[in-house]
Amino acid sequence: MTINISPKKILIVDDSKVSRMVIKAHILSAHTDWIILEAASGNEAIAMVDNEQPDYCTMDINMPGMLGTDAAEIILARHPGVRVVIFSANIQEAVQSRAQQLGALFVAKPVTDKSIAQAIGHFTGFKGAA
Amino acid sequence: MKVLSEIELDALTEVFNVGAGRAALSLSEIVGEEVLLSVPSIEILKAAEVTNRVFTLKDDKFATVSQMFTGPFTAEAVLLFNEDYALEIVRDMMGSQMSIDDLAEFEQEAMCELGNIILNACLSAMADMLKISLSSSLPTYSMSSPEEIAARLAEQGRDDNYILILHIDLVLEKHHTEGHLIFLLSSTSLSKLIAHIQQYLNTIL
Repeated sequence: MTINISPKKILIVDDSKVSRMVIKAHILSAHTDWIILEAASGNEAIAMVDNEQPDYCTMDINMPGMLGTDAAEIILARHPGVRVVIFSANIQEAVQSRAQQLGALFVAKPVTDKSIAQAIGHFTGFKGAA
Repeated sequence: MKVLSEIELDALTEVFNVGAGRAALSLSEIVGEEVLLSVPSIEILKAAEVTNRVFTLKDDKFATVSQMFTGPFTAEAVLLFNEDYALEIVRDMMGSQMSIDDLAEFEQEAMCELGNIILNACLSAMADMLKISLSSSLPTYSMSSPEEIAARLAEQGRDDNYILILHIDLVLEKHHTEGHLIFLLSSTSLSKLIAHIQQYLNTIL
């Protein structure tokens, strides 16, 4: 068995630049070596995952154009190994269960230390993060 | 005149987005179905520019619930529903055994309570994010046309005042209706809100 020690690559998808900056800052403070990619829409995210094949992805839902959950569904169908966290302000039950059905972790916005810790826990496989 | 920088506008939209998410959760629990949210849009206009074209609303009459929120700044939050569907939403709140006629009696009170729940959900999320405290007035209910709403807004400020209009659609598919959330701030309140947005940006960036 080989251990992959190359730095992890994470794609942050959010139409809000501020949200992307916050998520990026929190992630880099916990994992300085992770490579950060950014996308501002679902379509951009799908193309970026195809090209860059990140390990992890944070996905906003409410964006202009395609919904983040729809983009996540396409990404996970093409790249089942990508771990996805849905980061959304839309915290309704229906939205949370859609994320769950996709095999993604749902984390409520706003982005805080606590919510980022949940996301990173999902990415790196720590239990108790859900 | 550019009132907000791109990054401030982005942060403000995101703060309202979180607020609208909380509001949609409350509404979905009341009506028992998913509420679809639009991407929020923010317009900053001079009071004199506020006309009914500002509201891209298809309907003639709206059931509106307004509430004033006061704290470091003052904002009027308004929730609008198409008049015909307001009663159906009230029926969902009160239990479906009641006839529409009987419900009319409770309409005002129920709509005020609905507005109170939704607007407070939204504003409290915003207050938490900005680490401020906002208190709310009692909600008031009225039937208004888009023209009347625009006229009321235009009255609020002098010609050189700015008004922030946040527009978020809350779509209820089962009811075939939409609600709209609108926030109004005068230029004085707007500049105070911007100061808090800057503080928020400083803490997170």
